[in-house]
Amino acid sequence: MTRFTGMLSLAALAATLLAGSALADTADKKIALSNNYAGNSWRQAMLRSWDKVTKPAVQAGIVAAADPFTTAENQVTEQAAQIQNLVLQGYNAIVLNAASPDALNGAVKEACDAGVIVVSFDGIVTEPCAWRIAVDFKTMGKDEITYLKDKLPNGGNVLEIRGLAGVFVDDEISKGIHEGATENPQFKIVGSVHGDWDQAKAQAAVAGILPSLPDDIVAVVTQGGDGYGAAQAFKAAGRKMPIIVMGNRQDELAWWKEQKDANGYETYSASIAPGVSTLAFWVAQQILDGKEVPKDLVVPFLRIDQAGLEKALETTEKGGVANVEYTAEDAQKVVDAAKK
Amino acid sequence: MSDAASPPSPLRRLMARPWLWAYVAAFAVFIVTILFTGGRSGGEVATAAFTFATFSVIVGIGQMFVVTLGPGNVDLSIPATITLAGAVATKIMDTQDGMILVGLLVALACGAAVGIFNYGLIILLRIPPIIATLSSSFLVQSTAIAYGRGIRIKPPPALADFTTSQVFGMPVLAICVILLAAVMEVVLRRTLYGRWVTAIGQNIRAARLAGVPVGRTRFAAYMMSAVFAGLCGYLLSGFSGGSSLSMGEEYLLTSIALVVIGGSSVAGGNSNVPGLWGAALFLFLVVTMLNTYGFGAGLRYLATGAIIIAVIVAASRRRTAR
Repeated sequence: MTRFTGMLSLAALAATLLAGSALADTADKKIALSNNYAGNSWRQAMLRSWDKVTKPAVQAGIVAAADPFTTAENQVTEQAAQIQNLVLQGYNAIVLNAASPDALNGAVKEACDAGVIVVSFDGIVTEPCAWRIAVDFKTMGKDEITYLKDKLPNGGNVLEIRGLAGVFVDDEISKGIHEGATENPQFKIVGSVHGDWDQAKAQAAVAGILPSLPDDIVAVVTQGGDGYGAAQAFKAAGRKMPIIVMGNRQDELAWWKEQKDANGYETYSASIAPGVSTLAFWVAQQILDGKEVPKDLVVPFLRIDQAGLEKALETTEKGGVANVEYTAEDAQKVVDAAKK
Repeated sequence: MSDAASPPSPLRRLMARPWLWAYVAAFAVFIVTILFTGGRSGGEVATAAFTFATFSVIVGIGQMFVVTLGPGNVDLSIPATITLAGAVATKIMDTQDGMILVGLLVALACGAAVGIFNYGLIILLRIPPIIATLSSSFLVQSTAIAYGRGIRIKPPPALADFTTSQVFGMPVLAICVILLAAVMEVVLRRTLYGRWVTAIGQNIRAARLAGVPVGRTRFAAYMMSAVFAGLCGYLLSGFSGGSSLSMGEEYLLTSIALVVIGGSSVAGGNSNVPGLWGAALFLFLVVTMLNTYGFGAGLRYLATGAIIIAVIVAASRRRTAR
């Protein structure tokens, strides 16, 4: 009898392997989203994208559940406890936007040991047993100087707006920007302030440093979420508007459009689409499905250029961030790219 | 207040003011900042400092009245109230100039509602103020998120113009808030209500026995703090081109820091309004100075902390020396 069942399951396994990716065998699997923060428009869009993609997926029976959980206080201890709870509640996979790259490693390891798949994205974790869908932030920073090089061949003075001090993302983007500036010495970074990825804070910081800067600022390099505030500060100080690199926020795009219509203002905008949560969802689903997925994956940027501005603005909801939701096929492409 | 028998000289009396040190520090930092550019940009730096200090002073006044009530009294719901008031007001005004007054009333009403709710938690459910205002801030922030979904609606043009206008380099809003601060100083020092608040902070039992209506006085202070937070959210969303979910975040620590650096006693019972302005200017200028000199973030935080400690020590040394 046992032998017979064994044979049967072996046959079933063989059949699944043969069928390959066609049919998901994850109908009884439960996926949870563990999110550390929901207090800005990017995170709000991320949660909405998650709902938009996972609800139909649950209805279609691709997975049994895909529930989002957000911690109230953006605290490592709180999120560690949350991960432990999710493991106890019997989720098969946890998609994780982590409050810290290493402080959650203990909880993540426990989850892995309990047989739970952990896929971290955006705020990734370093624990080797987890998957990472990371952003190449350094390239993101370097791209800004590359763009300016084409736009302003003569170079000039550049103001840098950084993000939240002490956060890995801020260091990486800034490193990329400075690397670009070293390679292109015609650009000189004359000032650097922390805007915490927030329009109001960026506005205050830029307004404070502007008086001490030379009059001929040609460009502002940013990290996203701070471009509109920088523009407000330049306007208030009565300065000539430099090229401000934007970060895909709707208010930034709307301002850019206004300037474009008024005086042909040109810039570009790039960020990570909040829909990356859905990419992480599909990656988790494929891992549960038994696919072989490399541990380190790279998220594509969502870049908006002068020509694509109108269309991006139309599809971005007021107060939101330019966004795309990913499909299972997109996830497959990202996985294939990482295998190469 | 055991002043010497002979009337002290004006200079000595000035030196004894607990708020003096915030101004001394602000001025010193200002000088160091403009030295960087050889004094060329002093006016612009001062304008920026007054612009941004204005918003912290508005919430600082409310926080100060609450802190004056004595140990354990603090309003942690200020950031959430700012966010909610900003979100609701901009949505109701819907960029229409004609709705500016309605928007203001709605923002103040949001504040009043939060104030009533806070005090309800404190008095009816007997929750300590720190916990009560913290938990209500979660509820309020969640309401703001659910209500606005982080949508940034532009303020009416006339409101935006008003909040950013200047006369001779001085922000109009700052002038209004200086007047507001002057009125609140009179309220604190010269009115019965202000004396009640101070009396409760010094000894709540003695105050009650002396016939001070403790409940009503505390209620009014929490109410005021929340209404000022609502006002701040309204003006801030006009100033920075719309409300955002994180617009209030920095005002929690700032509002408490203003009270302390301004020379008010964090244990309550001894407060002053002028110090709030000195402290607000000082806090903005410290960041500006360190940015101007291009310090790294780590060094900046270290320096900020060290300077703040130095100012507080200097201020409290004065007081005990009396």
